[in-house]
Amino acid sequence: MARTFRLWLKKRGGRRTGSRLAGSVGEAVFFGILFLLGAVSLTAVITSQVRNPTPEIYRLGFGFWLMVLVMASFALIGGIGIVWTALFAGTSAERRSALVKHAAGMDLISDAMPTSLEYPNVPRDAYLTNSPGVKLKYRLPTEQAPVWRLGLSALIFLLSTGMTSVLSVIVTQHHMAGSPDWFLTLFMAPLIVVNLWAVRYFFGELRGQTRFGPTCIEISDHPLRPGSDCEIFVSQAGRLSLTSLVIWLVCEEEATYSQGTDIRTEIRVASRSQVLREEATQIEDGAPLECSGTLRVPSHAMHSLQSGHNAIRWKLVIEGKSERSGTMKRSFPVIVYPTVKQRTDA
Amino acid sequence: MEVSLDANLASSSRSRFAGNRNPVGSLMEPLLSLQIAEPRRIYQPGDELACECQIDAVDAKEIQAVETSVLWYTEGKGDEDLGVHYFNRRVPGDCENRDLRPMHRFTTILPNSPLSYSGKIVKVRWCARVRLFLKKGKELYFEQPFSLGNIADSRDDRS
Repeated sequence: MARTFRLWLKKRGGRRTGSRLAGSVGEAVFFGILFLLGAVSLTAVITSQVRNPTPEIYRLGFGFWLMVLVMASFALIGGIGIVWTALFAGTSAERRSALVKHAAGMDLISDAMPTSLEYPNVPRDAYLTNSPGVKLKYRLPTEQAPVWRLGLSALIFLLSTGMTSVLSVIVTQHHMAGSPDWFLTLFMAPLIVVNLWAVRYFFGELRGQTRFGPTCIEISDHPLRPGSDCEIFVSQAGRLSLTSLVIWLVCEEEATYSQGTDIRTEIRVASRSQVLREEATQIEDGAPLECSGTLRVPSHAMHSLQSGHNAIRWKLVIEGKSERSGTMKRSFPVIVYPTVKQRTDA
Repeated sequence: MEVSLDANLASSSRSRFAGNRNPVGSLMEPLLSLQIAEPRRIYQPGDELACECQIDAVDAKEIQAVETSVLWYTEGKGDEDLGVHYFNRRVPGDCENRDLRPMHRFTTILPNSPLSYSGKIVKVRWCARVRLFLKKGKELYFEQPFSLGNIADSRDDRS
């Protein structure tokens, strides 16, 4: 009795102390009230307008239609909630998952799913193989476009410099007129500090982007499989003197979890193997550094995985170090499929 | 493929309550038994997984439904994900004498992915599970783990 009518419940690991049935009933009551509220209100408003229009109360216009929209959404959310609760009340996690899987198996939906039916929970590689390479079959896209970082830093630089300049002029005019605004003068101090940081950040990004030119990685085969080899070609443009350029094949684990009301994501490197290395080389304008080799995925390595809260991602990471131009790090995602046993027909 | 010498090792017939741990009106917990044909074998994608389940120490009329499933789930730092590969729900009307207790055998062909994996913050586990639904809203389940694929454990590599 006490467990059914407890006002609150405790979460103990994956278990909860309350009654699931009471929870489902409460959920259904909530959605039922929402549905009735929306349906009754919507019916009352529409029928009153049809039978006995009262323009002084309900004038047809933006407000009226907004009210209709809100009430209709209440009815829709409440109705869907009741159906959802009725379907899944008392159902096990396995049954819910099986229902979702059955829905995802429909032809129209399966094509739009991020993973294929042949390799469940392995990401599709269409976006990686739609760009042909010059020397090898596929050109890999970068994980994040460096242009966005430069653009963002430029925007911050322009905004902070503009604000600081305008306020500086105002403060100076006040001081020269003999009526200094001390609050504004004191406010300028942190603003100048922020502006100096923005200038340094922007010019650092600009120097990095212009010195380290675009990076191009091409591979001869995709998707990759554990124990398989393929050719790799790397081209690094720019105008700098490199102390080293290293290409790594990296496997990362990503886990998303709830911590109180926050959602946090943790990423951990599971494995890292060196693919190519170049030492002490000079890159000139119009003469990019080119190197090629063999990309080997370790045997018995885990394939790429994508589920609701967990992921395993593979990528090629290129790290360039220069004494005068700093460090450059760029990532190129790849997909590793599981090895499939070759069947021999009897 | 690794085959255990004691491949017919019977799983211990312990059962777990999914809800209330104090069944009212019964002196003994129902016993769920679930056996995998080769529990210690490392299965590969495309292999056939054969399981048998049986229910004891409960009256047939008390059983509302029995669900058998083959599924994978994640463990580790992230919130748990679950994916069902095989699922079957039986109610008393599905049996000739309305008795779901006798041994029931089910098989499935294992998929290409995801494979069993033991990483640093992400783990993928496969298991066969049987879930018993009794009257008055009580549930019990029992699961038998198995391995799919030969994936090496991740090395300690902090970057």
